Amino acid sequence: MIQSDIHGETPHVGTQDDDLIQLLTVTGERVHHQTYSSRVAHLDTEALEGLYRDMVLVRRFDTEATALQRHGELGLWPQCLGQEAAQIGSGRALAAQDHVFPSYREHGVGWTRGLDLRKVLHQFRGEDHGGWDPAEHNFSLYTLVIGSHALHATGFAMGVQRDGDVGTGDPDRDRAVVAYFGDGATSQGDVNEALVFAAVNDAPVVFFCQNNHWAISEPTERQSRVPLFRRGSGFGVPAVRVDGNDVLACYAVTQEALERARSGGGPTFIEAVTYRMGAHTTSDDPTRYRSRAEEDYWRTRDPIDRLRLHLVAEGTAPEFFTALDAEADAYGEQIRDYCRSIPKAESSRMFEHVYAAEHTLVESERAWFTEYEAGFATEGAQR
Amino acid sequence: MSTTTPAPSVQGLEPEVRLGLYSSMVLVRTFEEAILREYHADKGPGFDIGKGLVPGEMHLAAGEEPVSAGVCAHLTANDAVTATHRPHHFAIAHGMALRPMAAEIFGRTSGLGRGRGGHMHLFDPDTHFSCSGIIAEGYPPALGMAFAFTRRGSDAIAVAVTGEGAANQGAFHESLNLAALWNLPVVFVVEDNDWGISVPRSASTSIPNNADRAAAYGIPGHRVEGNDVDDVHEVAGRAVARARAGEGPSLIEVHTVRMWGHFEGDAQGYRPDLAEVGDRDPIPAYEDRLRSAGVLDDEQIARIRADATERVEDAITFAKGSPEPDPAEAGMYVFAEEAQS
Ligand SMILES: Cc1ncc(C[n+]2csc(CCOP(=O)(O)OP(=O)(O)O)c2C)c(N)n1
Ligand SMILES: [Mg+2]
Repeated sequence: MIQSDIHGETPHVGTQDDDLIQLLTVTGERVHHQTYSSRVAHLDTEALEGLYRDMVLVRRFDTEATALQRHGELGLWPQCLGQEAAQIGSGRALAAQDHVFPSYREHGVGWTRGLDLRKVLHQFRGEDHGGWDPAEHNFSLYTLVIGSHALHATGFAMGVQRDGDVGTGDPDRDRAVVAYFGDGATSQGDVNEALVFAAVNDAPVVFFCQNNHWAISEPTERQSRVPLFRRGSGFGVPAVRVDGNDVLACYAVTQEALERARSGGGPTFIEAVTYRMGAHTTSDDPTRYRSRAEEDYWRTRDPIDRLRLHLVAEGTAPEFFTALDAEADAYGEQIRDYCRSIPKAESSRMFEHVYAAEHTLVESERAWFTEYEAGFATEGAQR
Repeated sequence: MSTTTPAPSVQGLEPEVRLGLYSSMVLVRTFEEAILREYHADKGPGFDIGKGLVPGEMHLAAGEEPVSAGVCAHLTANDAVTATHRPHHFAIAHGMALRPMAAEIFGRTSGLGRGRGGHMHLFDPDTHFSCSGIIAEGYPPALGMAFAFTRRGSDAIAVAVTGEGAANQGAFHESLNLAALWNLPVVFVVEDNDWGISVPRSASTSIPNNADRAAAYGIPGHRVEGNDVDDVHEVAGRAVARARAGEGPSLIEVHTVRMWGHFEGDAQGYRPDLAEVGDRDPIPAYEDRLRSAGVLDDEQIARIRADATERVEDAITFAKGSPEPDPAEAGMYVFAEEAQS
């Protein structure tokens, strides 16, 4: 007997916008969704203003850090510009005990975990290997090896399972784990292996893919022949596609996925369709590979603008926005001052923690490096 | 995601084609039985895997002959095959010469790799055949070969084989995705024999049908239930024709049977279906079918079997009579320059 897959014979190509879950339109109107509207019904004006504030302050942080890099204060900066709704919406759906494995531009998610974002600057100033304690906020360190942390998240989730912290029904005990990665990361074997393990073990993990349309200079259509969320079917994992610039929809779908995970229902794959409004990092120049028209189109879909339109229409007073602007300005100043005051760390610190015990090769490299650095110091003194 | 389409008719399959499929399966089984005999001949009282004429692991493919026969019937030596740690059936069905193949398995200098590769590493430029002990590692090289064929303007294709356990490797997914994106002439074959060593499929794979995985990368997927060589031949024909026509890759999963252990010496205590496994032997069933269809008679069967035995025993004798490599040369052929010296 032969079973053939007809979807395979006629592959889905391109985006299918009708599958996109949306609760707030580009012009700031609420739309009803049979499954998901109820999940945001409890969010009153104050809560919506809170989400707005989150996004504005995270954008300010990101903008300041980008400027600091241009001033030579940071070595590199990966911007989250344009992805605030995906990050704040999903992050605000998390419970304190949930654990997050971010990649490198999840500043907004870090913010929702209560992390002082200024700590993120240490690593990008080249003064620290990480910058924060992952256990303190259940927010792991940034991962720059694309997709590798999807496996870490799945392993962590299997640990949560073995601790018995799944499906107890106790809302303070049941935990979920979220792996954040990009569209490009879906092409990595690691992400696929993570989906395999998560599915087979019903691990309490949510795969949150921010499809920001670009993997450096590689567009999503060169990464996959099918819309990314359809990958879920190849693993037996439920998958949803959400408007990643709609903070309410991102909140709702993530909340549903987290509940499924915490209750023992296994993994979910979320594709949040958003746009990387900035460069890949400060080392990149996107004008070389994408059009102004595309950038302009997405500027009209800015995640912050649409919530502002909604708040204004619902009667939020102008004073709220003025006060927030002042708060953001003060925050910006704090960020700049803090960054410049990060203490200089010994470069030879990079040789620490390579092995638990002393290792002759590492020690000889450390000695060589120390001498090399000392050479610079002498030259400088002579000048 | 998948739907069942009625099995296409195989009534039209030419008698010569069916004889070819049958002969391929018999030749493979004869070879595997001969290796089984030689492998166990001198392993000592407690089965010492390091002893005997063929030391080390041995993965035999008895039961899986319908997959190799059905797929390779559509190939020529210009097409590439990348196989697994259980490679003999695909090597033979793809036309590898038995003498250097057997010699390689016995670790002799007359072997394909001068005795350095062993049974999991049969590399044959003549038939574009390769295999690897690292599971799913044949998938990416198959893409490379397929890419090279298209660049050279040839209509050759690549066939990449894994087991159902290996279909969970990252390399499998990366390969399906890239082959789909680049529309490469590749046929991906998954041999689902229910077991990855001692791990049942249910513990390694979350979906019942790997054709769904193909769909998740936007390529056609097929699953053959029943280990039927005519069905494999039919589906592989479609996939190979599609690849040759430049229409891109396909995936075929065949539910087959591993009649013996994962490797020789595997007591298979984990296996509840051990008693019935012999009943699932595909060769007697096919023999009966061809007999009742008037394609084969007893005389032909005897001739095909005798011919297979003669070829296999010739190869085994050749292997056993060939010299072993000189241990002093163990470091040779690691780098190209050394090979010259
Ligand atoms: C394993 C690995 N390969 C390549 C790179 C280089 N690299 C850094 S970011 C990136 C693109 C990632 O794109 P995507 O997953 O879409 O995330 P985004 O940057 O858009 O958020 C690549 C290829 C890397 N860091 N790790
Ligand atoms: Mg991206």
